Amino acid sequence: MRRDLYDLGWGVILALTGLAVAGYAWVSYDMGSLRRMGPGFFPVTLGLLLAGLGALIAIPAMGRPGQRRPFAWPETIAVVTALLVFGLALDGLGVLLTTALTVLIASAVAPRRGLGWRLGLTIAVTALVWLVFVQGLNMSLPVWPGAWR
Amino acid sequence: MTTMEGLAHGLAVALQPGVLIYSLLGAVLGTLVGVLPGIGAMAAITLLLPITYYISSEAALVMLAAVYYGAQYGGAVASILLRLPGTPQSAVTTLDGYPMAQQGRAGVALFTAMISSFAGSMLGIVILVLLAGGLSQLATSFGAADYAAMMVLGLVAASTIGEGRLSKSLAMVVLGVILGCVGTDVNSGAQRFTFGQVQLLDGINLVALAMGLFGLAEIIGNIRKAEHDGPPARVSLRELVPTRDDLRRLVAPIARGTALGGFFGALPGTGSTISSFLSYALERRVARQPERFGKGAIEGVAGPEAANNSASITAFVPTLTLGIPGDPIMALMLGALVIHGIQPGPMMLEAHPDMFWGLVISFGIGNLFLLVLNLPLIGIWVAMLRIPFRWLYPAIIIFVCLGVYSVRGSTFDIVMVAGIGVIGYALTQAAFSPALLLLGFVLGPLIETNLRRALLISRGDPMIFLERPIACGFGIATVALLIYGFVKHRKHGLQEKRGS
Repeated sequence: MRRDLYDLGWGVILALTGLAVAGYAWVSYDMGSLRRMGPGFFPVTLGLLLAGLGALIAIPAMGRPGQRRPFAWPETIAVVTALLVFGLALDGLGVLLTTALTVLIASAVAPRRGLGWRLGLTIAVTALVWLVFVQGLNMSLPVWPGAWR
Repeated sequence: MTTMEGLAHGLAVALQPGVLIYSLLGAVLGTLVGVLPGIGAMAAITLLLPITYYISSEAALVMLAAVYYGAQYGGAVASILLRLPGTPQSAVTTLDGYPMAQQGRAGVALFTAMISSFAGSMLGIVILVLLAGGLSQLATSFGAADYAAMMVLGLVAASTIGEGRLSKSLAMVVLGVILGCVGTDVNSGAQRFTFGQVQLLDGINLVALAMGLFGLAEIIGNIRKAEHDGPPARVSLRELVPTRDDLRRLVAPIARGTALGGFFGALPGTGSTISSFLSYALERRVARQPERFGKGAIEGVAGPEAANNSASITAFVPTLTLGIPGDPIMALMLGALVIHGIQPGPMMLEAHPDMFWGLVISFGIGNLFLLVLNLPLIGIWVAMLRIPFRWLYPAIIIFVCLGVYSVRGSTFDIVMVAGIGVIGYALTQAAFSPALLLLGFVLGPLIETNLRRALLISRGDPMIFLERPIACGFGIATVALLIYGFVKHRKHGLQEKRGS
């Protein structure tokens, strides 16, 4: 890469975030005085500070070659999907089916392919959840589809 | 309460069955996460935070602390046998520990790591007790301005001493402080950055933030990285026995490492990882044959392991006596204390002697557990290394989900953790430090409160920060560190340019 795109991009994002924070706090909250600071004083100062630091990150990055860093896309997508599925399905499907589904999704990106070990792992983790969280800790969770225990 | 009375009182607290069992549990869990590459003390403590809602405050802190120092013991195992550090603190142990293992001296290296860790911790406790009383006394004379200045110094120190560009480290700290502003403002009752969301009134949940930044982000990054072939050999008990020559070589490095770690652990912003690297450098400098280092020198294992354990104990000094965490793990500990309604600070020794002295004694008991458990059971820990990460991480994800959900039964929080996790991973991947973000998040509200109080007292005159000698001293140190960081950064930048 001819430019350090990571630092450039993140610098810009952080600077914009800082400006947004400062602007929003300036408009919405009372600044007060130095003697009696209002709720807006600290966020506005911090937002401007972050904007400055973002610029300090981005500007030098323009004249500097960067290196490419591998981003674990499949892993990121699988892990996030697993969490979203868990969060969205828990109330409807109950903890056991949700756990099984989540483990299957999460293990799909493991370095070793194949369904056999994944099914084994799914059963083991689901059993563990039933044993520890449902039976052992007696957590208030929906256990089966459509019914709170 | 005198020190002797305090220790006796602490013994009574720490020996309660309800506390003792969590000390043991923490030690075992800590060793386990230390041994397993791909999950560190930070993630483990985060995962355990929800559980601490359900147990007494003493038991909670004792367990979390035991996980922290237990992970230092376990971390050495993977470092020595696989050249894969189980925790960042044990990274330097790979340098001489792994060569020792290749020469068939894995057992001796493990023994060295364990005994050095134990000695470092025990002497660290002595340093902790000596420092804590004096520092608490000193800190009672601190005003709001001094506190604010000291916390800013802590944040700047953590940013300059860590790796990477100073601007990037400082940006993470500031971002963390901004996130700390979210929620109801304590002074005016105004709701800041809540955007009408009821869930955000109490601010961003520490558990959700830490789980996303450390639990999830670490998993995403490690799914491919943490796969390995397992340890090459089994280690039997007999192999642990060192020769007389080995033992003779251990004493001085342990003493030097402990002193170094004890000192740097107690400073805000440095901590155990840096102590272990400094100790390694020191050992190599004082050695008569420095060329042995990197080829299995036993001193290169003993010094750093003593240093990082000693530092992990004395790191509690600023956390407990000043209420200021020196590193992100201590920030989590502080968070756990606050969850239980205990505000650490100079009054803590007086107001919560149970917690303070109980914790101190539990360090001793926990380390004794670790030594007694780990030496005979070393074979089991080595066998644990055969568990591949692909079996572990789906279970950890489930644990994250259930842990977050258990805090207040909200599936919204699980979705939020997913979002924070992606941001955390993306930041790590671009060489930003999410640990500094967390430090800023915890310290931010404390800085704001003290800053406002200081300026209220001085009637809005900012000169108060120059007139008070303590605050002024911290201010000068902060500026000096910033200049140092800038110069270091310039040198680094020039080298980079020349290199390319």
